[in-house]
Amino acid sequence: MGRAASIVAGLAALALCVLAMIWSAMPPMAGPARAVVAPLADAAHRVVAWYRSGPADGHPDWDAAAREVFGGDAGIGADLIALHGCGACHAVPGITGANGSVGPSLEGFARRSYVAGILPNEPGGLTRWLVDPPAHAPDTAMPDLGLTEEEARHIAAFLYGQGGG
Amino acid sequence: MEADGGYADSTLGLWGAQSSLVNAGRGADAILPLTIGMTVAFGVVFVLVLALVWFAWRRDRPAGHWWLWSGGIVLPLVSIVALMAISTPTLRALVTESDDALVIEVTGKQFWWDVVYDPDGIALRDANEIVLPRGRPVTFRLLSDNVIHSFWVPSLTGKMDMIPGRVNMLPVLAEETGRFRGQCAEFCGLSHPRMAFEVVVLEPDAFDRWLERTQGEARDAARPEIVEGRNVFLDAGCAACHAIRGVAEGARLGPDLTRVGARGSLGGGMWRMNQGTLAGWIADVQDMKPGAQMPSYNHLSGPELRALSAYLASLE
Repeated sequence: MGRAASIVAGLAALALCVLAMIWSAMPPMAGPARAVVAPLADAAHRVVAWYRSGPADGHPDWDAAAREVFGGDAGIGADLIALHGCGACHAVPGITGANGSVGPSLEGFARRSYVAGILPNEPGGLTRWLVDPPAHAPDTAMPDLGLTEEEARHIAAFLYGQGGG
Repeated sequence: MEADGGYADSTLGLWGAQSSLVNAGRGADAILPLTIGMTVAFGVVFVLVLALVWFAWRRDRPAGHWWLWSGGIVLPLVSIVALMAISTPTLRALVTESDDALVIEVTGKQFWWDVVYDPDGIALRDANEIVLPRGRPVTFRLLSDNVIHSFWVPSLTGKMDMIPGRVNMLPVLAEETGRFRGQCAEFCGLSHPRMAFEVVVLEPDAFDRWLERTQGEARDAARPEIVEGRNVFLDAGCAACHAIRGVAEGARLGPDLTRVGARGSLGGGMWRMNQGTLAGWIADVQDMKPGAQMPSYNHLSGPELRALSAYLASLE
């Protein structure tokens, strides 16, 4: 390796160190990180969703339509799941640190037939369950977490986005 | 800032709660310029070394040993003396104790923090969350009865090891109210990275009120479910390791739970404190904190687990 190349490599290493320091001092997923990573992740999710949807057969997706949660925002739902610490008991794909095994995994929740084996898995049933689990299953270990109905709708919207129908 | 420092809050997800660049204490104030100065100085040294590499490759480099003397002996001597001159006063400022300081004894456990306020006086025991008065000197008396831990709240001051058989003193002066995060900074076992804690800095009068209120017995069980939860606590044997003042006293193997529901976080700064995370914790500690000494209590029935978690969440 020539001497000029060595110097350039050294300066590049120094520049990388400085960049890493600036990066480490920034809030997580702020600035360039969010601007670069978020659209890439979004695109990747679209590709995966398209792949999973299989060959088009011309029929509308009735399941997805039946599980649309009115007044529910999946993004807010994700924040609420992280805030309340649902991951202490449940594995929830897409939520950092949520890999609990006290209760069932919530992966692919949209495909499940019953909520807790008790209520039909449709928006009304899931929302009612989330607001007050012991009211529907007196012997359940899942406590009443004090969620409002609105919060429950957001969380339901997030869960129905799991597993792609 | 609310009157009590925002107890519903937690440092989880709070940006800057654990950062050497966000200083809120006298020690951190002294360290930050040193950190920046050293980073810049070593950046310069790095560039200098690159220049020397380039110099060494030159075929026509001058003969003689003057550069060996100057670069190998004079330069290190000058730079080390300069570093000493700058860092010694900083170090002195960091370890100077105040005679009228409030003493707080913190013992590192695997993997949590046992906290005793004023151990020679009121000896108020708590765990995993430390409340401090703003602008009043505090001396941490740091102990360990197992392995070496290190006590580090980057926003307040530098880190200090907790060494079995030794007592290390760490003076702290918090200069701003708020919620900060500390972390064990010496590898101590399987859940070392999960051994964090929270520091709440209150205005001095709010701190006095807090200390007064917290010395009492645990809050009384008010609802039937909570009374049942207290019975589960006693029947399931929790009191063999955990103390709740006024309910079951004396046990010291696990964290004191007298005000567990008032803490911002659960499991040593790992989860937000609420009934749900408490239930998950009790049922599967070993999943949430591998290697912890508490076994997972997954033999409780669903309603027992709910009642117990409701009781603990009510202890504010």
